[in-house]
Amino acid sequence: MPSSHTRRTFLRGAAGASLALPWLESLATAAPAHRGAQRLAFFYLPDGVVRRGFFPGEADAAVPQFSNGKTAVNVNDGVAVGLHPLTSLTPTQAPLEPFVRKITFVSGMDRFYKNGSDVHAQCGSCFLSQATAHSVKDSIYPLARTLDHVVGDVVGGTTPLRTLELSCNSHTDNKESMYFDNISWYSAGQPAPSLRDPRKVYARLFGTGGAKEARSITDLVLDDARDMQKRLGKSDRDKFAEYFESIRSIEEQIDRREKLKVDLSKVKLDLPVDSHLPRGDYIRLMGEMMVAALQAGITNVATLMVGAERWDTPFTYEGLFDKPMSHHQMSHDQHQFTKELLALDRFHMEIYAHLIARMDAIKEADGRSLLDNTLFVYGAGLGDGATHQYTRLPIIVAGSGGGRFRTGRHLHCPDGTALANLWLTIAGTMGVKADRFADSTGPIDALLA
Amino acid sequence: MTFSPFATPSRFTPLPWAAVVWLCAGGVPAVGTAETDVTNLGSMLDPLFRDHCVKCHGGGYAVQGDVDLSAVRTADDLTSRPELIADLLKAVESGHMPPPEEPPLDPALRKGVVTQLESLLMAAAKAAKPVGTPIRRMTRFQYDNAVRDLFQLAFDVHPLPERMMRDLNQYFDPARGVLPEHVVVFSRPLGKDGDGERQLRGTAPFAQDLRAEHGFDTQGDHLSMSPLLMEQFLQLARSVVDSPDFNRDNVGIWNDFFEPPPGPPEATSAAVRDRLQRFLSRAFRRPVEPAVVDRYARHVLASVAEGTPFVDAMKTAAAAALASPQFIYLCDATVPGGSRLDDFALASRLAFFLWGGLPDDELVGLAAAGTLHEPEVLGAQVERLLRDRRLKRFCDAFPIQWLQLERIIASEPDMARHPSFYFAEYRASMHMMFEPLLVFEAVLVENRPITDFIDSDFSYRSSLLDGWYRDGRAGHGEVSDVTMRRVPITDRRQGGLITTAATMTMTSGPRQTKPITRGAWLATVILNDPPPPPPGNVPVLAEEPGEDEEHLTLRERFEAHRTNPSCAGCHRRIDPLGFAFENYDEAGVWRDTYPNGRPVDPAGTIFGDHAFKDIVGFKDALLAEKDRFARGFAAHLLSYACGRPCTAADAPAIDAIVKASAADGHRIQDLIRLVVLSDTFRR
Repeated sequence: MPSSHTRRTFLRGAAGASLALPWLESLATAAPAHRGAQRLAFFYLPDGVVRRGFFPGEADAAVPQFSNGKTAVNVNDGVAVGLHPLTSLTPTQAPLEPFVRKITFVSGMDRFYKNGSDVHAQCGSCFLSQATAHSVKDSIYPLARTLDHVVGDVVGGTTPLRTLELSCNSHTDNKESMYFDNISWYSAGQPAPSLRDPRKVYARLFGTGGAKEARSITDLVLDDARDMQKRLGKSDRDKFAEYFESIRSIEEQIDRREKLKVDLSKVKLDLPVDSHLPRGDYIRLMGEMMVAALQAGITNVATLMVGAERWDTPFTYEGLFDKPMSHHQMSHDQHQFTKELLALDRFHMEIYAHLIARMDAIKEADGRSLLDNTLFVYGAGLGDGATHQYTRLPIIVAGSGGGRFRTGRHLHCPDGTALANLWLTIAGTMGVKADRFADSTGPIDALLA
Repeated sequence: MTFSPFATPSRFTPLPWAAVVWLCAGGVPAVGTAETDVTNLGSMLDPLFRDHCVKCHGGGYAVQGDVDLSAVRTADDLTSRPELIADLLKAVESGHMPPPEEPPLDPALRKGVVTQLESLLMAAAKAAKPVGTPIRRMTRFQYDNAVRDLFQLAFDVHPLPERMMRDLNQYFDPARGVLPEHVVVFSRPLGKDGDGERQLRGTAPFAQDLRAEHGFDTQGDHLSMSPLLMEQFLQLARSVVDSPDFNRDNVGIWNDFFEPPPGPPEATSAAVRDRLQRFLSRAFRRPVEPAVVDRYARHVLASVAEGTPFVDAMKTAAAAALASPQFIYLCDATVPGGSRLDDFALASRLAFFLWGGLPDDELVGLAAAGTLHEPEVLGAQVERLLRDRRLKRFCDAFPIQWLQLERIIASEPDMARHPSFYFAEYRASMHMMFEPLLVFEAVLVENRPITDFIDSDFSYRSSLLDGWYRDGRAGHGEVSDVTMRRVPITDRRQGGLITTAATMTMTSGPRQTKPITRGAWLATVILNDPPPPPPGNVPVLAEEPGEDEEHLTLRERFEAHRTNPSCAGCHRRIDPLGFAFENYDEAGVWRDTYPNGRPVDPAGTIFGDHAFKDIVGFKDALLAEKDRFARGFAAHLLSYACGRPCTAADAPAIDAIVKASAADGHRIQDLIRLVVLSDTFRR
């Protein structure tokens, strides 16, 4: 049998994380499982947003320039720091109007930027990371186990999938590295790859997927793995633990699936068609499958990337533009493309709103809606796609995580407030017992009920 | 347009120092005269540090560009940091330090310093701990090849869009030593599927591996496993053996492995054991222990005893092997003591390098005999692998990734300006991408000097490309079977890889060229000296000139636009590498003037003292510095083969390779053989 410490280095985050970050020792001690099924989901937007459309008080701000990100950071939006009732929404946020009492809008949060890596690559890959700026020595990315996995360690213990990673990156050219294409990481250097093909997502979530057949050979391959492990040096053995962990998680998955009878008529999803979907339909479908997975108890934690960071290849946005457009390329030129970018921000927001509506329409056993039992976070890693600022990020949290967030409010944070404070708050809400998350200075208790 | 000049990953680990050498390559004002301690570094380095370095990079004043040399006092302070020596060497030797605002180095001092730094680097590299490659899973491309090799499958397991050019007339036969005049090819990513392209029905591939930040998809630090991927490996393994096409007709080892053995049932046990012994040893690339054979055999025999047909029981064992870590993972076992790879690991590394798949019986046999690591044996094996058709797999991976040719897939020049780029529902880029790949294959198969990549007297063109190079109007565009003909090149503006329509188009935006992207591409691909990522607040240059800019050339617009002095250091180096190509427009068509009528000015100076007026002069400058290119190319090969970026500790190996290959003008097969025989490759 592989030793327990190698088994715990990868999927079970606690030991693995503490190898790299000793101060995290106490972080992921699991809360008792009786909390009921709380869920956490992310809707990640690449390449930032147009601030003038998204943030209150900035509608008339100057078009951001590239010359110096700081000039854009210090826009005086006239919004007082602190909590406000969420009474009016900006044009980009307008699709959320029906749910204004069930969301929390958080503005003014910042992240650090570590020099040495591409601004877009770090922006996506480190968005949910628990690393501090200088805690990671052997990578140019301040990257460690991400929030979804830290939470999954606690609330994923009984679901077939501990976490679910989806991406609406349908590019076929191999243009960017994994740092642009993953927000979910087991650890630095080890992404949790996402599924992009709706049919594969469906098969993984609701099909038997050949898992039973797989079991017929797992005994043999696990024995091979044990043989192989004996030949490896220390550092290779640590990395090789990923193989054991992966096999073991599949076995667990099969067991848990057998217990969990998913009622497909309840999740209201058919096998996706095997043909090109218009971009909006595609993102919506991926989101709906994420919602269905949360609803059916297949997982409690999910991330959905609307697209990869940078990746210049244009997409056809059916019904939006008359020719293929690149979100990233447009984001650099807000003089020329303001109208298009605002339309695109709105396009993505409408999908987010659609998924919120879908979640709110699902009633759970405790009488609340799925939305009520979830924290569904909308966010971008950049405060603005033109300035590439890591400050004043656009963040919305829908749902209350089982009544724990007091919603219908806007929190405007003072400059320099760490995004990690929100992540710490969310982690705590989800049952993670931790005093710190990355560079957090403390939880934001004001958000809680 | 985007103004992200370094949209491409670089091949070396982006060491802080490499970035520093770029960033501080000029434009930093001196702060004052330093009263620094005296160094004891030797007769050349002491005056260098005293007179040219510490004013900005150490001493009592603010350290400029994050480069702090104040801790460097004795030679020991340097030899413990080979990366630092390598970067100092690069800065001084290339003429980028000291910056132009500062007094220049005396040529004799520069020469002496370079010599001294070189010998320090050699000493430091020899003392450095060898860098190993982490254990890593196969890439999707390698997995497909390895499964084919293992079963002697007649065709691919699943579609592989990463393979950009398919051979339709069996032109690729390196044993002939020459690439034919006519070849027929097609492209999967952009073109129509060719007839007769088959895969195993019913298999589902896992996702294509993304490029590593520093280059190739073979890099160990980027190839990890996850539950999702493991599920996909398990399902793929099962679906391979369950495919309706997995049968006697298509599986070469069918009779020797899957067919029920003749004779009485008692003989079955021995036959199964014997078959598994051979099969697993090939799959795992080293002799398997009896206990492993027993394990698999017990599984098969138990199934058969329960009534499972023999073929199906063997299929299950085969599927297990395909999902076994001993098959999926590449790990570099060493001889006791760790001084070098053991012979089986060496056989694997060589086979995965040149064949992208499993070592064959001959390689494994030499490993079993313990002779493979002997230089003459190993050298002869390189020659043999280079003559085998499986070399095509190297051509399907290395040049595409080295040249970053996938970028052409997404290139879409403005339709109004380049109407004939688009034909039917296809694009001229489909033809363009074949040209550099075929030139690469010709150079490889014919063992030509790698300088042909800069400047060759031949190329491969379709009729569409003939028209394209003539006047930017495409000739007839075939969409499935594209015939490419070898043509002599006498106009030196064409020829080589660096000025092909493919490279020029993929480094441009839809409506204008991107000189910085081109410069970064050349620095990365040809010189293996990638610039660091740009700072986050990079200014944007609009795709169309503004109203007050219409009279300017692109270069003038860039200069007017560049207000941030901290950018100047890098751009002094990148710009000449990119503006040299300005005569090629955004679709690779030659132009003498911009649309506004202003003449194109490609002139510049590279490596400190090679001034050039035009692209031919630029090619001459690169050719005059061909050892630089050879060093870069050797490092790319090593990185691809070893699955890790090269470091300063590899410098002696790379130097030895390039010195040896220089004798015959850096022929590519010599370089490959020398790479395999190098210390870096063998440990």
